[in-house]
Amino acid sequence: MSFMLLEYSLIFMVISFIPCIYRVIKGPTIPDRVVALDAMTTIIVVMLGIYSYVQGSVFFMDVALVLAIISFVGTVTVAKYLDDGVVF
Amino acid sequence: MILNIFSNMILVIGLFFVFLAMLGLARLPDVYNRLHATTKIGTLGAFGVMLSILLKVGFSPMGVKAMTVALFILVTSPVAAHMISRAAHRHGVGLCKESVIDEYGKACNAACPEPEED
Amino acid sequence: MKRYIAYSAILALVWCFVHGTVNINNFILGLIIAPFVIRPFKTLFNFDKEFSFSNALSKIPAQIKYLYVLIVEIIKANIMVAKIVLQPKIDIKPGIIAVPIDTKTDLGITAIANTITLTPGTLTIDMSDDRCLLYVHAIDATDPEGVAQSIKDDLEKYVLEAFE
Repeated sequence: MSFMLLEYSLIFMVISFIPCIYRVIKGPTIPDRVVALDAMTTIIVVMLGIYSYVQGSVFFMDVALVLAIISFVGTVTVAKYLDDGVVF
Repeated sequence: MILNIFSNMILVIGLFFVFLAMLGLARLPDVYNRLHATTKIGTLGAFGVMLSILLKVGFSPMGVKAMTVALFILVTSPVAAHMISRAAHRHGVGLCKESVIDEYGKACNAACPEPEED
Repeated sequence: MKRYIAYSAILALVWCFVHGTVNINNFILGLIIAPFVIRPFKTLFNFDKEFSFSNALSKIPAQIKYLYVLIVEIIKANIMVAKIVLQPKIDIKPGIIAVPIDTKTDLGITAIANTITLTPGTLTIDMSDDRCLLYVHAIDATDPEGVAQSIKDDLEKYVLEAFE
């Protein structure tokens, strides 16, 4: 029962990708696309957490942590680039 | 048994909130309102899913790492939202047409007025 | 020197959480490695100020109370934004308003800005140059004085107790 719930939740997360991809393609400005990509990373982190429990393996959780860190650094970098024109 | 039902409940609530965040990303009118949706609801959704994994496995390495990911998202997501909204405003992205007041734009114009065309 | 010990303890705890098992061996390993991480980034931590353990420990009850207020506010914020998203026709009046604040230190301003972002209907955008105004994007900006007053009453009191 519990495993069925977890697998259906993975399908549900894949469905919630659709608005993100719509916003990445259509978004009128660059910050819209950055926000949508950031939200996509949140979904992937959630999916990796659930998948880690389904597989019973700890290592997917490491991947989730590293992906969260890279997403934060990437968003801040793009914001600084839009703001000043330089990264450092 | 009770703990299992409780953790499943938190998992469903978290997934529903993440889905609502993405729905808000598609429906709301401009960048700042979309940031409201993804920052608040997405953070609580991810936190709920990770908390339910912690309740399912207890304080094993997987549960502790799930909690680390949740706390990291809770700390960094407001900072990312603040950076990207400030960059958007300075980049020239206007507010949507329903907006009623913009004191930040007035302050920016008073500090550095637009160069006049000649 | 005291600051080295305090930050080393915090970084060792973070290392325990990232490794996945919280025990005494991992804590000691983190405590040994942490000074080599702190030393190259010394300019980020303000070493010139005075620091005392008893002062830091005496703030912990206020911080726990602040955490409780924060969790309640986050849940209220989520229900409010979820209602807005689920409406059949979106009817909002957003706007950017200026909110005066009383906190002066860097840590206090960071805490109040992040708290404002996670609480109902508001999102911090920028701080003015003289560090006494925060520019806040509110999802319902028809009453600017009301928003500023609610931030001052509900949140800033606890932040001042916990981080100043």
